[in-house]
Amino acid sequence: MTALPWTLFAPELFLLGAALLVFLLDSLGIRRLELFGGLATVGISIALLGVLADLRFAPLAGLATVPAGNVDVPWSPLNASLVVVTSFGLIFQAIFLTSALLVALASLSRRSDEKGAAIFFGLLLFATLGMTLAALAADLIYLLLAIEVTGISTYLLVGYTRRDARGLEAAMKFYIIGALSAALSFFGASLLYAYYGTTNLATLGTGFVSMFPSPLGGATGIAFLGYGFLLVGIGFKVTAVPFHAWAVDVYDGAPSDVSAFLAGGSKKVGLFAYFVVFLVPILASQTTFVCPGGPTPTCHYLHSTFGIPLQVLFGLLAVVTMTAGNVLALMQTEMKRMLAYSSISQAGYMLIGLAVATSPAIAGATLQIFAHVFMKTGAFLVVAAVAGFGIGSRIEEWKGVGLRHRWLGASFAAMLLSLAGIPLTVGFVSKFVLFSAAVQAQGWFVWLAVAGLLNSALSVFYYARVLRVMYMERPEVGSAPVPAGAVVGGSDPPALTLGGIGVGRATAIGLATAAVFAFGVYPQPVLAGLQMAADHLVQLL
Amino acid sequence: MIPILSITLATLFVGTLATFAAGPRARYVAAAVSAIFLAEIAGMFALFSAPALGLALPTQFAEPESYPWIQVAWLHVNYTVGIDGISLVLILLTGILQAVTVAYSWTEQRQPAAWFGLVLLTCLGCFGVFAALDVLLFFVFWEVVLVPMFFLIGYWGGPRRRYAALKFFIYTHVASVTMLVALLVTAFYSHSASLDFASMAASAQTLALPTQIILFLSLFFGFGVKFPIVPFHTWLPDAHVEAPTGGSVLLAGLLLKLGGYGLIRWALEILPTGLQHVAPILYAVAFASIVWGAGVSLAQRDLKRLVAYSSINHMGIVLLAIALYSSLGLLAAVLLMFAHGIVSALLFMVSGSVHHTFGSRDIATVSGITPTAPVLSTMTMTGALASLGLPALISFPAEFTALLATWDKIGFWVLIPLGALVITAAFYIWMMQRLLFGTPKSIPVGAHDLPYPEAFAMGVLVVLSVLYGILPNLLIHFIQLSPVAGLP
Repeated sequence: MTALPWTLFAPELFLLGAALLVFLLDSLGIRRLELFGGLATVGISIALLGVLADLRFAPLAGLATVPAGNVDVPWSPLNASLVVVTSFGLIFQAIFLTSALLVALASLSRRSDEKGAAIFFGLLLFATLGMTLAALAADLIYLLLAIEVTGISTYLLVGYTRRDARGLEAAMKFYIIGALSAALSFFGASLLYAYYGTTNLATLGTGFVSMFPSPLGGATGIAFLGYGFLLVGIGFKVTAVPFHAWAVDVYDGAPSDVSAFLAGGSKKVGLFAYFVVFLVPILASQTTFVCPGGPTPTCHYLHSTFGIPLQVLFGLLAVVTMTAGNVLALMQTEMKRMLAYSSISQAGYMLIGLAVATSPAIAGATLQIFAHVFMKTGAFLVVAAVAGFGIGSRIEEWKGVGLRHRWLGASFAAMLLSLAGIPLTVGFVSKFVLFSAAVQAQGWFVWLAVAGLLNSALSVFYYARVLRVMYMERPEVGSAPVPAGAVVGGSDPPALTLGGIGVGRATAIGLATAAVFAFGVYPQPVLAGLQMAADHLVQLL
Repeated sequence: MIPILSITLATLFVGTLATFAAGPRARYVAAAVSAIFLAEIAGMFALFSAPALGLALPTQFAEPESYPWIQVAWLHVNYTVGIDGISLVLILLTGILQAVTVAYSWTEQRQPAAWFGLVLLTCLGCFGVFAALDVLLFFVFWEVVLVPMFFLIGYWGGPRRRYAALKFFIYTHVASVTMLVALLVTAFYSHSASLDFASMAASAQTLALPTQIILFLSLFFGFGVKFPIVPFHTWLPDAHVEAPTGGSVLLAGLLLKLGGYGLIRWALEILPTGLQHVAPILYAVAFASIVWGAGVSLAQRDLKRLVAYSSINHMGIVLLAIALYSSLGLLAAVLLMFAHGIVSALLFMVSGSVHHTFGSRDIATVSGITPTAPVLSTMTMTGALASLGLPALISFPAEFTALLATWDKIGFWVLIPLGALVITAAFYIWMMQRLLFGTPKSIPVGAHDLPYPEAFAMGVLVVLSVLYGILPNLLIHFIQLSPVAGLP
């Protein structure tokens, strides 16, 4: 066993340092939003650069922070009892950090007299820390603990303003559901430990180390129950239907910047957990396995116990999640609730990757997760910016917004088109790759692609409806507050003043929009990296 | 070799951006872009006409260009463009309609930069569809057309524009998605080396017959909605009636042709066996569209709605000609698409001009406009006569070829389109009788004849109708320079 060097944790140490510094300064009485925001932005940026540097060189020798020979090595409880560096994990770290960076940048433009800036940025850093740690997981308990670090930070983030009842209600709901989810997950982990005698993710679920001789009795039931509890427990994080109900109220009640982080960032940690926990048993049943001592029914059965049922289960979960999310999104009259349901449906698309479980599908799902960071974080950030103009979250209040604030409107239109999967946006490319991968796998997976495509056609309806409101309807006179300095009269709606959303927020929205188009036109570098990571993951597990 | 297709795409793209940014001077930029586009099309024709350059081979795509776009182990997508005679003729149509739409809407007052930018973007998408030879690239352009058209209808359209825009978007998007699934299944089930047209056309023949039939039918649905075929046509009257005139011109003139082109290139050429096994279904749908389109047109009082329904009729004949699967049929289909593009554009401009000159498009309300607006009447008459297939005008050679090809292949069934032609003639003549030559009625005080930009745009189309009506060989020569010209 080789000891992992501390530089492995350099990105995490930067995040931790920045978080601690924020709280330290706050306790010393230095309370400036710009300072805290700057610290958070710089901390996250450095961490992101570290991860990107690692990714740039993985899996070649001599990474920036990870020494040679430590990336994408097959692991077991012997050489990686807690953490392991995989390019798949590094990619998720980059995804998490990107989301956090966009939110931190945008939050620089929060009102500087606002109370609790230290809490906001400190907790944002801690939540990000938890996510990046989770992406290193080699062990189930470690993974769940890292997710809890994120969870506890985000519960507080939702209610930190302590101003309105809805935010507090959302925080409370989030907390209770989060506690339930954690309890279920840990219970599932304990059942799996009882069956397999290990909690290491690489060996869990393969059936190699069964403590019980007979798989047909209650013992298999225990393992299956363990996976069931994990499926549900993590399902809450992923907002898979039917474990989604909390998400809408929470995204709606939380400050929009926090919603951006929850939808764009923190729920992806649940998807990462799904991948690393469930791919092992699924893949194990796909590989040919030579039973020690010849093929006995017991050995064969043990080896292929969970694969197919799990795939079917994830396929169902994917279809139900995307359909329910879309159908419910159709009925929404509030922008944030609509985006929340759209976020649920997008989680459904991502689950296709798990059901198909080939390396192209895993790459496709990861690309979908990558795309979702930009479009959903960006969309919520625009909602927050528009709220700054006194335009509320009801969709009908958005009449004419596209014409009154052209840049914000164009960005939001780009996000919506991307969510709907219209070409030249990253959302289209990710769906194209994901659904192609499902078709490529042939068999019943083709129907997952068909379900996904029908759903994306359905989703066009509510995204286009928002575009219609934004561009084709005029604000009723006197309904929307007209900001100072706006030109009233003329044949077109009054133009809002261009300033006022703040440099940080404008930069964040601009970056997200640019990414939506840039990766939509030329996804090759990202996709090549994701494909490599997925290939390695499949080989490792 | 000159990469003329990529150059054209690039100029259209830059031109579109420049138009969006040009503010009140957008129309000059749009006009310049249209002129450059037409010059580039002339260049393409020149390259095609020069066999010395080794290009005009009937079995190959000229000017093919291919660069890797998305390449991972299991997915090979290229940026591949190339044209044959069919694409070339439809690209010519794109260039013409872009120019006349810009000319017709020269005096657009509401958000002119956005208007001209979106018009150019629509044409950019259509050009891309006609030039793309890769599934993903094709689909990207196919969808690129949707977004600007959604805004053109939804912002500049008539009273029910928002409903019409949404309906258009959703109908055509569902169809596109079906088409994409079918193409992906074709590619992956036949283990095509890449998503390129050539590679798919070669590998698709290895698919089992039932698979080919199912895939062809899915593609037929996907492309058919754009056509539009009965019973998936209901988006068309709404979209056309509510769209602004320029939008209707592009919708009828170009967007419907995307369906016909797609069916030829991506369904017929990739899955010919599938087509041959389900041809009777296509005939039935075509006959239904022909008869339904003609019959419903007869009942219309709204001039624009009448032209819209007559499009269903004409595109039904196009479908019939494609379903015949013969070289004569395909020739007729492409000719007819070109002719319909020119004539329906002219007629939509006429109905737009009637509407804003006389305040209404209701044939029963407005009548006897000839004394007030003689030029407009002349345009109306040319358009109507061309559309009903009068010899020496553009539709005649096309429709004649279509009927001939139908007779060759399925004999007496030709009576159905022939009968529908009589109805078409009837409703156009009846329309002219009332609108042009009736007792003057509902003529507003101060109504005047066509303004110059509109007269110019329509005049160009009238000249082209006559030119290609007398000399159809100018097009036929090029259409035959395509891989499918070798069919029986």
